[in-house]
Amino acid sequence: MKYLKSISFYLAIVIIVLISFTPLFVLIKLAIASPSLSMGETITNFSTFRFANFVDAWDSSNLGRALFNSVIITLGSIFVCVTVSAMAGFAIARFTNWYNKLFFRALLFTMMIPAIINAVPLYVIMNKLHGLNTYWAIILLLSANTLPFSVFVYSSFIKSIPVEVEEAAIIDGCTRFQAFWKITFHFLKPATAAVVIIQGVGIWNNYAQVVFYLTRSSMQTLPLSINSFFHKYGADWNLMAAASLISIVPTIVIFVLFQKYFVKGIQAGALKG
Amino acid sequence: MKKTFLVILTLVVTFALSACGGNSDKVTITFLNGKAEAVDWVDAAIIEFEAEYPDIEVIHEFNADASNALKVKISGNDIPDITTVYDTALMKDGYYYDLSDLEAWDRIDPSIKALCTDPLTDIQYRIATNRTMAGLFYNKAIFTEVGATEPETWDEFVAALEDVTDAGYDGLYMGGKDTWMIGHLIEFWAHGLIKQELGTVDANIAFMMNQTTKLNFDADNGPMEIFAERFMELKTLGLLNDDFLTATYDNQIDAFANGEAAVISQGMWALGGILEKAPNLASSIGFMPYPAMDPTKDAVILSAEDSGYAIMEASESKEAAITFLNFLFEADRQKEYSELIKSPSAFTDVDADWSPIREAVTSALSKGTHIGFTATPSGFGGGEAGILVQNLYLGEYTVADFVKEYTDSWNEAWNASN
Amino acid sequence: MKAIAKIINRIKTNLHKGMIVPAVLLFITFTLLPIIFSIGLSLTDWNGYSSPDFVGLKNFIKFFSDDRAKNAVKNSVFFALLSVPLLNIIGLSYALLLDRKFKGVNFVKAIVYIPAVISPLIMGYIWMFVLQDNHGAIFAVFEMFGKGDNYINFLGDPKMAMYIIIIVNAFQFVGLTMTIYAAGLQGIPQDLYESSAVDGATKFQQFTKITFPMLGPSIVINVITNIIGSLAIFDLVVSLTGGGPGYATETISLYIFRQSYGGQSGYAASVSLIMFVLVLIPVLVSLRIMKKSRLHLED
Repeated sequence: MKYLKSISFYLAIVIIVLISFTPLFVLIKLAIASPSLSMGETITNFSTFRFANFVDAWDSSNLGRALFNSVIITLGSIFVCVTVSAMAGFAIARFTNWYNKLFFRALLFTMMIPAIINAVPLYVIMNKLHGLNTYWAIILLLSANTLPFSVFVYSSFIKSIPVEVEEAAIIDGCTRFQAFWKITFHFLKPATAAVVIIQGVGIWNNYAQVVFYLTRSSMQTLPLSINSFFHKYGADWNLMAAASLISIVPTIVIFVLFQKYFVKGIQAGALKG
Repeated sequence: MKKTFLVILTLVVTFALSACGGNSDKVTITFLNGKAEAVDWVDAAIIEFEAEYPDIEVIHEFNADASNALKVKISGNDIPDITTVYDTALMKDGYYYDLSDLEAWDRIDPSIKALCTDPLTDIQYRIATNRTMAGLFYNKAIFTEVGATEPETWDEFVAALEDVTDAGYDGLYMGGKDTWMIGHLIEFWAHGLIKQELGTVDANIAFMMNQTTKLNFDADNGPMEIFAERFMELKTLGLLNDDFLTATYDNQIDAFANGEAAVISQGMWALGGILEKAPNLASSIGFMPYPAMDPTKDAVILSAEDSGYAIMEASESKEAAITFLNFLFEADRQKEYSELIKSPSAFTDVDADWSPIREAVTSALSKGTHIGFTATPSGFGGGEAGILVQNLYLGEYTVADFVKEYTDSWNEAWNASN
Repeated sequence: MKAIAKIINRIKTNLHKGMIVPAVLLFITFTLLPIIFSIGLSLTDWNGYSSPDFVGLKNFIKFFSDDRAKNAVKNSVFFALLSVPLLNIIGLSYALLLDRKFKGVNFVKAIVYIPAVISPLIMGYIWMFVLQDNHGAIFAVFEMFGKGDNYINFLGDPKMAMYIIIIVNAFQFVGLTMTIYAAGLQGIPQDLYESSAVDGATKFQQFTKITFPMLGPSIVINVITNIIGSLAIFDLVVSLTGGGPGYATETISLYIFRQSYGGQSGYAASVSLIMFVLVLIPVLVSLRIMKKSRLHLED
C-alpha cells in the first residue's frame, strides 16, 4: 500500500510539472526553430536548433534598448512603490484616524475598477504633466497602480510588529519617522520581498498602460518590443518567442532568489490581516 | 538620514534630467506610423533626412493600433503632424489638412489621386504612394492537376472548387479567426456589387453618407443577402477549410505555401509571406478577380490606394512636414519602398520590380471591374462585421438574421459617429 | 538662527504625520482623478476625441437593453463562477501535496509558478499553438497515430472554447494561489495535528477541523483576488479566441474595449462602472460568507 501511495504521489508530481512546464516548453521550441517550419513541425521536431532567432530578435526590435528601459522603469517603480507603500502602510497601521481609514478603503475599492476606464483621462493628465515618453511619469503611474496591494500587505505586516519596537527607538532619541526607517523597515523584509516579486513581475510585463505613454521607439519597454513582432498581417512567431524568453529570464531569476522571503512575507503580511 | 537624503537627491536629479527634453530652436515634427512593415524604412529615411535638414527633427512613433492611438492623442491635445491613419469620421470633422496643392501630385497616377479624393468636397486630405490589389490567389499546379480552369462566373468558381476538394485539397481557405479577413470578403464580394453599380465616386459617397436607399443592405435579394447565401453555399458544399473558425492568417499563408489550399482571398501584402515559405511557388501562383455572386454583375478586383500619409490640421509645422514627405517621395526611396512592400508605386517615375507575379496581377486587373475599399463607419469595421459572419457560419444566425444584424450594426455605428 | 533650527526640528518630529502623503498624492493624480473624469464621461455620448454631449443616464439604460452587453456579462460571470473554485481547489491541492520536504520540492514549486510570469497575451498564443485544430501540437501528435480526424476543434466550439480559457487561465495562475496556501499551511502549528492524532482524529477530520479553518485568511485573499482577476480577464481571451467563435467568449472587459475604441467611449465608461458594481457584489458577499463561517479571521 505504501509503495502504491508513493508511486501515485510521484506520478502526480510528474504530471503537475509537465502541465506547468508546457507553456515554457512551447516558447523554447518556437524560439529555436526555423521560421519556415509549420506549427506542428515546430513542436514535434527535435533535431534543429537555431540560435539565430535570438540574434535576429535582438537586432530587429532593438531589444537591448528595450531591456535597458524595462530595467530602469521596473527598478524605479519598485523603489517608489516600496517607499511610498511602506510609509503609507505604517501610517495606516499605527495611526487609525478616520481619514487614514478612508484612504485605505478607497484604495481597496479602486482595485475593483477595470483599468481600461482610465485610459483616456490618464492620457490627458500625463500630457498636461508633460510626462509622455519620460521615465519619471511612467514610474509614478505604475507605482500608483501598485498601491492597493502593497499598502495592504505592508499595513497588515506592520500591525503584527509590536509598537514597542519603535517606542524603544524613540526613547533613544529618534523621531517616529526615523524609527520607522531605521528599525521597523528591517523587519519588513518578507513583506518587501512579496511586494517586489508580485508587483515587479506585473510592472515588467506591463503592456496595457505603457503602450499609450511610451510611444517613441527609444522609450519602448520589452513588452512593447515583443509586440512589434505582431504585424498587421501575420506575425514573426519565432522571433517573438525568442524575445519573450529573453524577457522571462530575469523574472524567473528574481523569483527563485526571493522565493523564501516571499513565502514568509505572504504568510505574515497578508494572512494576519 | 544624511545617506538617505543623498540617495533621494540623486534620484530626484536623475529623474529631473530625464524629463528635460529638447531645448533648441529646431522644428520638431511627429510622425504617427501604423504600418509595421514600413518602420525600418522610415527610420533609415529619417537619419538621412535629419542629416540633410539639420534644423528639422522628426520623431517617429510606431503604434500597431495607430487609429486608436490617434484618437487618444487628439483628445489629449497631443496631435501629431503627420500620420498614416486616415479616418473618414475625423476627416468630416475637419482634422486633416488640405493636401491638394502638393507638388507631388504631378508625379502620381491620376487614378490614385482620384482614390485619395474626398468625394464630398473634391479635396485630397491624404496622399498615397502605392497601389495595392486584392483578389483570389490560386495554385495553378493544383488546378491543372484536377483539370480546372480559371473560373469567370460564380458557378464555374464553385465547380472548380468542387474539383479541387474532390482531389483532397482545401478549396477556399479562410483564416476565420482573424476576422478582418472575413471583413475584406464582405468589402469586395458583397459591397463590390454596390460599388460597380454606382461607380467608385458615387459608391464612396453612398457609404460615407449612409444613403440607405442606394446601399440597400437589408433589401430582399440585396447585396448582404446574396453574400450570406453564397457564403453558406460554400460552407454546405464543403468548399471552405473545415477549421474556418479557428484558422489564422498565418495558417492560411502556410496552407497556400504548402500546396494544401487551392484558393485564398488576399492582397499583395501576403505575397512576401507566401514566397518566404515557398520561394519556388512563384511560377504556380495565379491571380484572379472575385467572380460575381450576382450573375447579372461583373467580377471585381480591388485596386486601391495604399501607404497614405496625411497631415493634421492642428499641426504647427506643416511646412516642415511637407518637406519631410517630399523627401520620402523621392524616386529612389519610393522604388526601394515599393519593392519592400511588394506593391506597385503610384509615382509614374518609379519603376520597381515589385512582384514576381506581376503578369498574373496585370492580367487579373484586366478581367475585373476595379473597386476600392469601403469607408466603414467607426466601430463597425471589417473585424466586427467578420464576427457576424462567424455567427452565420455557426448557425447562430439565419441568413435573414445576419442581414438584419449587419444592417442594424452598420446604421448604429454610423449614427454614433455622425 | 535658533528660530529656523526650531522650525526644522518641529518638522522632523512631525514628519511621520506626512508619511501617508506621497501615497495619497499618487492615488489622487493617477487613480482618483481619472475615475472621476470617467464617471463624468459615462454620462455623455463621447466618441473618443471630439467634444462630448451630456446625455444623462442614456448609456446605462442602453446597457440593459443590449443583448450583446448582457452576453458579455453572462460570459464573465460564468468564467468567474468556474475559475474561482477551480483555481482554489487546484491551488490548495498542490499546496497540500507539496507541503512536505522532498528533494526538489522547491524546484517543483518554482515550475508551477513560472507560467504566472509569462504575459497572458503570449500565454494565449502558446495554447493556441498547442490546441489548434489542423495545425496545433496536440493535433500533430494525433496525426502521427493516424487519428487526425478524431480531433475536436475545441477553440471553434462556442461552449468548449470557454472551458478552454478557464482551464488555461487556471493553470497559469495556480502558482500564485498555491503559494499563498502554502504560506498559510506553514503557519499552522504542528502540535495541533499531533494532539488531534492522539485523540484519534482521521486525516479527513484533521483537514476539516484544523487545516481548513486555519487557512481562513489565505482563502479570503485567494478568493477575492481571483474574483477580481477573473472578471477583468482580457489579454488571454484576445489571443486565444479573439472573443469568438462569434461572441461566445466575449468577456465584459473585451466588450468594453471594443466599445471604447469603436467610437462609443462614453458608453464604454458606463459599462465599466457597471462592471465595478458587478465585481463589488461578489467580493462583499464572499467576505460576508467567510466572516460568518467558522474560519479564523482577525479583524
